[in-house]
Amino acid sequence: MVPGKSSGVLGLLVMPVFSYQQGERLAEVFNRWGVEYLFIGKSGAIFYGFPETTQDADIFPAKTEANGQKLVSALRELGYEVSAELESELIAGKDFVQIRGGPFDLDLVFAPDGIETFAEANSRSLLIDNRFPVASLDDIIASKRAANRPKDRESLPRLEAFREYLRQRNLVTLPTNPSHD
Amino acid sequence: MNSKSDEEREWHKEFDAAARRSLHERMHYSFIYTYKPVMDDAPYRTFDTMEDYRRWCRENLPAYLGYW
Repeated sequence: MVPGKSSGVLGLLVMPVFSYQQGERLAEVFNRWGVEYLFIGKSGAIFYGFPETTQDADIFPAKTEANGQKLVSALRELGYEVSAELESELIAGKDFVQIRGGPFDLDLVFAPDGIETFAEANSRSLLIDNRFPVASLDDIIASKRAANRPKDRESLPRLEAFREYLRQRNLVTLPTNPSHD
Repeated sequence: MNSKSDEEREWHKEFDAAARRSLHERMHYSFIYTYKPVMDDAPYRTFDTMEDYRRWCRENLPAYLGYW
């Protein structure tokens, strides 16, 4: 069993699922360590209000040695087991890192398909709920279109319909707290 | 009958419903643990390039997961 999948009451497995509270914690810790990152992928689209399901949080970190070092520190503070080997790989720079042994499943996509640079994506990103930096919906769609996997092709029409739904209402994102917004 | 329009109408109903929920609630309903064989069986994996990652998916993951 992968570390992080713990046993709860009655011996039932407690599976790590990303939640708003964990997102808050991630944002707070990443921000404190100065990690440059964006939420991306389906998890990023969910921040805009896209009603879909997923398992993991997809993060697009800037691919620099300095950011890799900050990322390692932040991941350890969040409770991920970052071995010396993983640490050196995160700092040296990989295109894709998948981490399963931690408080929730995390995909670190340093070079997402369809996006030229972190700086460009960052310039188009949106800070949602004043704490979650998320790649633009256009970039999320462009990335899925470029990846062109069956699961991307399946979700794209609905995701594009959601973007159009927002545009028709002059919204950038669905309200984060509709009872108070 | 226009099935495409029917499908889009259904999607819009779902978007309308999502618009009535807070981000907190939307995240609660959206992130669901689903075991993915092979993919979830290691604490971590790293790939030098996205092409390396795609090749690994093709060679190791069952097609029904939708990664290739």
